[in-house]
Amino acid sequence: MTADSLRYRVVHETGYKYSSLVTSSRQIAHLSPRETSWQKVVSHQLDIRPASIERNVSIDYFGNYMISLFVDEPHHALTVRAESEVIVSRYAPSPDAASPPWEESLAVKGEWGPGTDLEVESYRIPSPAVPLLASARAYAAPSFTPGRPWLAALLDLTQRIRKEFVYDPKATTISTSVEEVLELKRGVCQDYAHLMLSCLRTLGIPARYVSGYVLNRSRADGTKLTGADASHAWVCAHCPTLGWVAFDPTNGKIADVEFITLGWGREFRDVSPLRGVVLGTASQLLSVAVSVTPIPEPASVASA
Amino acid sequence: MLLSYPNPQGRYDELFAAPGRPREPWSKLYSELTLASVSDIGAMRAAAERQIRDSGVTYNVYADPKGQDRPWDLDVLPLIIDTHEWSQIESGIRQRAWLLNAILGDIYGPQELLREGLIPAPLVYGHSSFLRPACKAQVPGKTHLHVYAADLARSPDGRWWVMADRTQAASGAGYALENRLIVSRTFPHLYRDLRIQHLARFFATMRDSLLHYAPKGDGAPLVVLLTPGPYNETYFEHTLLSRYLGFPLVEGGDLTVRDGKVWLKTIGGLRRVHAIMRRQDGSYCDPLELRSDSALGVAGLTDCARRGSVLIANALGSGVLESGTLLGFLPRIAERLLGQELQMPSIGTWWCGEPAALADALKRVDRLVFKPADPANNFDVIFGHDLDAKGLAEFKKRLEARPEAFVAQELVHVSQAPVLSRNAELLVEPRGVGLRVFAVATPAGYMVMPGGLTRVASSASARVVTMQRGGGSKDTWVMSPGQVDASFTLLRTTVTPADLVRAPAGLPSRLAENLYWLGRYQERCDDMARLLRQTLGLKLQDSDDEENAQQPLEELARQTGLIGDDEDVEQALLTATLSQEEPGSLPVNLKSLQQVAFHLRERMSLDNWRVLNNVLQDIPDSDVQEVSTALEWLDMVTLRLMTLSGFALDGMTRDNAWRFMSIGRRLERLVFQCAALQCAFLHDGTAGLTWLLRLSDSAVTYRARYMVSPEWLPVLDLIVVDASNPRSVLFQAKGVLGYLEVLQKEYGPCGAELLREHVRFLTDMDRGRHLNPESEELRNTISGLRNAALQLNDRLTQRFFNVGQARTWSSLRV
Repeated sequence: MTADSLRYRVVHETGYKYSSLVTSSRQIAHLSPRETSWQKVVSHQLDIRPASIERNVSIDYFGNYMISLFVDEPHHALTVRAESEVIVSRYAPSPDAASPPWEESLAVKGEWGPGTDLEVESYRIPSPAVPLLASARAYAAPSFTPGRPWLAALLDLTQRIRKEFVYDPKATTISTSVEEVLELKRGVCQDYAHLMLSCLRTLGIPARYVSGYVLNRSRADGTKLTGADASHAWVCAHCPTLGWVAFDPTNGKIADVEFITLGWGREFRDVSPLRGVVLGTASQLLSVAVSVTPIPEPASVASA
Repeated sequence: MLLSYPNPQGRYDELFAAPGRPREPWSKLYSELTLASVSDIGAMRAAAERQIRDSGVTYNVYADPKGQDRPWDLDVLPLIIDTHEWSQIESGIRQRAWLLNAILGDIYGPQELLREGLIPAPLVYGHSSFLRPACKAQVPGKTHLHVYAADLARSPDGRWWVMADRTQAASGAGYALENRLIVSRTFPHLYRDLRIQHLARFFATMRDSLLHYAPKGDGAPLVVLLTPGPYNETYFEHTLLSRYLGFPLVEGGDLTVRDGKVWLKTIGGLRRVHAIMRRQDGSYCDPLELRSDSALGVAGLTDCARRGSVLIANALGSGVLESGTLLGFLPRIAERLLGQELQMPSIGTWWCGEPAALADALKRVDRLVFKPADPANNFDVIFGHDLDAKGLAEFKKRLEARPEAFVAQELVHVSQAPVLSRNAELLVEPRGVGLRVFAVATPAGYMVMPGGLTRVASSASARVVTMQRGGGSKDTWVMSPGQVDASFTLLRTTVTPADLVRAPAGLPSRLAENLYWLGRYQERCDDMARLLRQTLGLKLQDSDDEENAQQPLEELARQTGLIGDDEDVEQALLTATLSQEEPGSLPVNLKSLQQVAFHLRERMSLDNWRVLNNVLQDIPDSDVQEVSTALEWLDMVTLRLMTLSGFALDGMTRDNAWRFMSIGRRLERLVFQCAALQCAFLHDGTAGLTWLLRLSDSAVTYRARYMVSPEWLPVLDLIVVDASNPRSVLFQAKGVLGYLEVLQKEYGPCGAELLREHVRFLTDMDRGRHLNPESEELRNTISGLRNAALQLNDRLTQRFFNVGQARTWSSLRV
């Protein structure tokens, strides 16, 4: 697996079944892959059933695509299907690349002058699901010994979370806090990502939440990457010399060409694939199906 | 009488320049007070309190165990400010509002102030009221801050300082208006002689400016006042401003978004909303893009704000400036943005997230007050000098652990002003005061309300002046430099014949629905109370001819859900009468009535409201097993319900609001009467008919008309087809039909055809042939009407009321 870039088709289907009639539904989808220096979107299509009478594509605060949909007819079920074709190029630094001591990525306290990098500062602050926690600081401490190179420290934390936590979809819910996850030592990729964000931001390292997919196939060593049958989440942190580097605590590795990025924000809520408000008194049943298929590359695609 | 008024110690005294020597603007009030006797003062206080009660001015205190209503606390002695001093305050506030608006424009736009480091980025990015989805919005007129308030206090040297900025949804302007109405009546001569500036123009300007800035299109401009509802502590003010400004009072559920615009749901369909004056926090305004747990919002509102299709005052996200953290940075920003010095200083305030500020604060904790950096992190204000050695050490630790969560503020000894004392011997005593002033954006800059809400500390020793902690208030009198423009008096005297409003345009659907259910519950409770009274009454009597009435009555109690199938009947009846938990019981229905009424509070007189509020008062304990006690309680309930229907009959104009309430009421009674008749048919002949007449409240009429004991023909004539009897079936059906026909003219078909056939039959029938229980036609009509009532309920719900409630779902976690 030495290709410099890979081409994928991703199909992400979300279905809601309602217990009683829903009269209208307003949804916001973060299901359209973001264009980045390493990711090119070849095609993208988003369908909703019943058909929406209003549809609006915009760019959200964090620079992601956001599609607003409005369905104004009575329905018992709602389906949103996103199909995308993307080309991802290799972009991650090698795990042994040189990096400065991790302390250098911290803000210099009390010095606010011209030239503040707002993109970096946006992700240094706590957010509702990513609080600053003494317990997160304590958990991170063994990885962040004084003077340790930034990349080594972050990769160590990434791998420790993978080793010390059990991937267990039954252990947590959407409202489980980072503190609880830290106690349970269990969770899913979203919990892993929020935990790692909490560790990093408590230390003062800017870090964002990334929503996307990971390639669903067996690797040469026979292992399958966790989180492949649904959408996936990981973390991207900022290093003064390397820039933004992505880490996947669920799989304990630097995220690279096997990862397809939908978008990023401070935490899950900023980029949740689909959120909506429906009119009606129904309870709902949700189903999600994701498939990520590599497409043989006909010719090399220009990439830096 | 002012001899006992103590000298200020380390404070500025608003009244006296020196002991016994009042300041110039106060001299007339001072001489009036020195001439006043103890009983004069008492009379003044009593008159003001009566006015507050009469106009129903209230303020809800969250912590108040007695809950909702606390009468507004007003001290009738005004705070008087002279012309010169006021012009300085006015100019400072205008500049400050301008500055804050410019800062909002930057924070929600290019963020240059953050990039240049004039505002530390985390103060904005980490603030719970920084609403990212509101960024890059097309804000009409580039005005984010329409209504601004500042809390001022005066230091011992006589200077005014800004203690806090209110940029989210400032409350108090309406209370200031109400204070003015009362106090100007308490001192009519003084008010005129001192040439006090009027407040009305401020509100007129507010209305005109909002209309000016609002986007246009889709009909006449409509501004609504968005309230979180009756549970909010300043709900009274929302209702007051709504009436005063002529902006319909709406809740989130009244609004909907279509085609990127906001619409008001009315019984006549959707009406475009051009501007929203919001009195709820921005983050609660849209469950789709902002707080998804908000039940108060309008899904899609943020998108409309971004498009600029609706003006929101204040713009979403304006609350980000409500934090002490920014105060210290304002002077430099003023220089950068306005090229001016900040005129009105903020009280010394430092964000502890800056190392230098933290170091300084740690050195002098005892002289500082500590507040949360983000209003969302709610903790009580900490007064440094209150801490003992142990508390000090603990607090320092807390501060050092999370310095960015705190602001340190200089402790101010606020000025004192005289209040009428509750202690008869003192008459007048001093209290700490703070002044909340208001400004409104106009195309010509900000206009400052000439006056404001003076807030009074709750006790002589209290150091925090806040309404939420039970402080009081005063009117604020600003003396006029010249003639007072008296042409602009308050709205109550400026309505011209052309302005007379016969019916408010487009009754909001939610209101119509609540009125309808008010009618239904009121009648349902009344029917239940009568039925229970009769059924239980039989248990106390032994008369033979009444004995058989038990069967149909109990059958009816079962059909109406009061009692279940095979229970101990007496026990079940007592439970239905007294239990506040048993579903379907009378008390549970009374509670539903109260709940519906609560949401209609702004439409009720205070007396009406009081009766409703007390409808469950003196209910006997549900363990009571005595029929006689239960009967006494039922008498009481029946009486109270009669009082309530009296209010409706006497106190409401015959508009659509009244029609919806009456439809509810008559439909409910129709169903009940039909059910009672069906039970009577079932037990034909064996049970007598006296119970039926009594249940229908028609026994007296019957006795007056016929000397014979009840027989089918005259009884059915009276309670089925006599259109003059307000309890008859025909009376209900005809009434509902009439209301529907009026509504139909305005809104198109809404179900009148469901009733028309039945009404015609009852009106035209051959009484000799059909007025007997064997008549198939009569039986069919009665059961037909019962069904029609149910169908009509669905039809009205579909046609006029909201369908269901919005619920928020987020997609599954990954």
